[in-house]
Amino acid sequence: MRRLVLIVVWAGALLWLFPIAGAFVTSLRTQQDISAHGFWSVPREVSFANYAKAWERGRVSRYLVNSFIITIPSIIGMLALSSMSAYALVRFRFRLNRFLYFMFVAGMLLPFQILMLPVFQLSNRLGLYDTHLALILFHTAFQIGFCTFVLRNFLRTVPVSLFESAVIDGAGEWTIYRRIGLPLILPAFAALATLEFTWVFNDYLWALVLLSSDRLKPVTAGLSTLMGQFVNDWPLIVSGSLLAAVPTLIVFFALQRYFIEGLTMGANKG
Amino acid sequence: MRHHPLAPLSFLLLPLGLYAVWVVFPTFATMAMAFTNWDGISPTSEWVGLANFERLFADRVFWMSLGNNLRWVAVFITIPTALGLSLALALNRNVRFDRFLKIAYYLPMVLAFVVVGLMWAWIYHPRQGLLNNTLFHLYGFAQSLGFDVNPLAARRIGWLGDPDLAMGSIIAAATWQHVGYVMILYLAGLKTVNTELLDAGQVDGASPWQLFRFITFPQLAPVTTIVLVITVIQSLRAFDLVYVMTRGGPFNSSNVLANFMYIEAFMNYNMGYGAAIAVVLFLISVGFIAVYLYRVVQQEER
Amino acid sequence: MRRITISILTTLLVALLAWGAAQSGMLRYNSYMSDPAVRDMDERIVNAFMELYPNVRVEHSTINHEDFKQAIRTYLVASPPPGVLTWFAGERMRFFTRAGLIAPITDVWQDNDWASVYSAGAQAMSRDAGEYYFVPSSYYWWAVYYRTDIYDEVGIEVPETWGQFLDNCRALDAAGYIPVTIGTRFRWPAGGWFDYLNMRVNGPEFHIRLLDGLESYESEEVRNTFAHWKQAIDAGCFIDNPAAYNWQEAADFMSQREAGMYLMGQFIMDVVPEDQQPYFDFFRFPIIDPSLPIGEDAPTDGWFIAANAANMENAKLFAGFLGSREVAEMNARDLGRLVLRTDIDPSIYTETQHKGAALLQGADYIAQFYDRDTPEELADRGMDAFVEFMANPGALDRILADLQREAERVFAARE
Repeated sequence: MRRLVLIVVWAGALLWLFPIAGAFVTSLRTQQDISAHGFWSVPREVSFANYAKAWERGRVSRYLVNSFIITIPSIIGMLALSSMSAYALVRFRFRLNRFLYFMFVAGMLLPFQILMLPVFQLSNRLGLYDTHLALILFHTAFQIGFCTFVLRNFLRTVPVSLFESAVIDGAGEWTIYRRIGLPLILPAFAALATLEFTWVFNDYLWALVLLSSDRLKPVTAGLSTLMGQFVNDWPLIVSGSLLAAVPTLIVFFALQRYFIEGLTMGANKG
Repeated sequence: MRHHPLAPLSFLLLPLGLYAVWVVFPTFATMAMAFTNWDGISPTSEWVGLANFERLFADRVFWMSLGNNLRWVAVFITIPTALGLSLALALNRNVRFDRFLKIAYYLPMVLAFVVVGLMWAWIYHPRQGLLNNTLFHLYGFAQSLGFDVNPLAARRIGWLGDPDLAMGSIIAAATWQHVGYVMILYLAGLKTVNTELLDAGQVDGASPWQLFRFITFPQLAPVTTIVLVITVIQSLRAFDLVYVMTRGGPFNSSNVLANFMYIEAFMNYNMGYGAAIAVVLFLISVGFIAVYLYRVVQQEER
Repeated sequence: MRRITISILTTLLVALLAWGAAQSGMLRYNSYMSDPAVRDMDERIVNAFMELYPNVRVEHSTINHEDFKQAIRTYLVASPPPGVLTWFAGERMRFFTRAGLIAPITDVWQDNDWASVYSAGAQAMSRDAGEYYFVPSSYYWWAVYYRTDIYDEVGIEVPETWGQFLDNCRALDAAGYIPVTIGTRFRWPAGGWFDYLNMRVNGPEFHIRLLDGLESYESEEVRNTFAHWKQAIDAGCFIDNPAAYNWQEAADFMSQREAGMYLMGQFIMDVVPEDQQPYFDFFRFPIIDPSLPIGEDAPTDGWFIAANAANMENAKLFAGFLGSREVAEMNARDLGRLVLRTDIDPSIYTETQHKGAALLQGADYIAQFYDRDTPEELADRGMDAFVEFMANPGALDRILADLQREAERVFAARE
């Protein structure tokens, strides 16, 4: 039985990888080759030239730092703030508790594109238009809803007794938050950080709306200029996207042991 | 649980403050826009009351998009969620090369939408795409076995170009991406499951299915809440793949509300109308989610 | 501690002042020219300008073409907006001038005496209500591109009449080729077919009146246009499942020698592999009614200055340079397009460009393309209608009725 399951999982994985393998092969070809022979054809010649070209034309070296300037503070901000709000929603009974929970969830319900102009106007009025700060503040704020929702649900898996015993031991709420709450939701934190990094790093709509200067743009905006009005050099664009996926993959590799490997956390012991 | 009355405030002040300014306030601004005829660029606009909404409910495109979104929900809450959960369960033990397998399923999430759209468009390409050519060979094989099928018909299947197949084709690509997402969440959730109970259950001779059904799955309830809520929201808010693959075509057969809204608001300079679509989308989502969450929260407090 | 704070603040202040001073000689130029060849030329233009005027620094930002069309809304109302921006002529430009977001540049036109080097058509395109707002750059022609080798093989000639065109389709079909390829996944190539059929069947004047809301989509004339379209469909002209392909994928069929013709703009040559290019040629869309004036599509690009631009002087300096003969010649030489300045060196044009120029000169009216001549909202519904008609010609009555209703609503709202 286990055998069968494994076979299915492996078959599925290979199937799942197929489009990505296709993308990778595409990135090694030239558009002329594809136009002349079709994209599922055997490549006439392969090279990594597109990667170098995407790097150069997409100005990746210039924009990469910007992407990190935007993403990393946003992730730290949203994780810190939403763990605080999640903790408050789980630990304390107060009148507005349910309402605030719904409000955080409601923030996820609006298709975010429609917020484009109001958020633009807001940052314009605050004098933050065309700054990284605007993007950081927006991403942090916008993801708080989702992160609070996820962390709040994960916090509920922590037995109340653990908190209570700490209270009896005389610990203050912030200490409990730091010493007990946070460590126990580490897998959720890691999963969230991975997902959020993927989203914020790959975002370019908000960068488009809140930035105008060339020197502030993130990598995604740079790479999207590889797409033309009429002509699209697909292998170039694909290699650019694969390049842009590398930091996300690095983060994934770095964090995956917190939520993927076969370690069980201490919530159930003792 | 007695606590200092100001304790919640100290935790909530900063997150709520930021959230209120950058999310809540623009949301209300958007809702107000729905009652105007603003085009998104002129300095002035007029109040039109419910005119946008009246127009919306008479708009064929709206109903088509809504239907597509609901189809998306139906598919998403069944297939990728079940698959993601199964994968998480299968890969939670020490399987060899489990990291490779998990990454294989997660990679679709990491890829930019443009590339996902491109790859799938090539899979769906009627004349040269992978799908039709595979079918072509399958039909040929069936034909040689004596069945009455014409292999050439395989190359005429339009997929993204066929109004009846376009939406399904896009949803399939979206499912490909979503499975990894659900898997990640359940993998994290499985870390919180109490293994002692599982050990005890095994000692008592319970079957794997019983262990899952009575011990693991109930403990995963919070994660399941997350997964269901997120899945429904993503189905209702779906935009990127539709925009990249067909832009809602052919003639709106694969249109979804978020794409419809985007095109109206940003390409057709109908910001007011677009905002109305967003408001309706919001209310529909609230309808789905609020009812569900309310019940969950009530259960939790029991 | 105090001293450190003061020194930090002073440094910041000095840096701020220096940055502010640097800003005064700076100009922001946002461009949607993201196609590879165009982008390179754009950069060369900026560099040439900066050499000519060393104390003006141009911060050149290229944005993906599609994104730019959304972002321009924020650019124009931001404080401060960028100085110079790329954009389209025609209705699209007038939309912003009506909202007061574009700076009039009549003085730039006068100082550079452009009225003497730009044709009357170009001038009309750049004006709105008596003031000049636009610097036109280049335009390209639309025509039916065809493969000479396939034509030779099947033994057909370049069609002069509609009947000949349909015969060619049948011949190509019989020989196993795709007669006409088209990719309508993103709809606009269907707009090209409507433009041409409508202009050929009813004349450019009617066409523009229709796009301005002065004629009905349910009129006899429009029905006649679609009747001709149906003839082409019935003759087996079009590829199967056109909505499954984007325009580039459809062009690939021609590059792969599977399709014979494609009604497309000149930029199709940018996606044809070099070894196939010698087999590509083009002809004017066949004349259907010889008594009517000839209309052609030739979308025009150019630049304008944002109304609240920070450095208006520098912006106008740059705009003046952009409309110069040097830039026009760069456009003609490096892009293979046509330019609107009439005084460039004619030897720059290749044979193909001369042919394209002749095609357009033989036209009595130049249109900007369906989605640039009619309000975007209506163009959106119109192009959906065309794609649907191609898939489902029998539903014409319903399609036209729906479209006309939309048209009435859009034009009424503009009052």
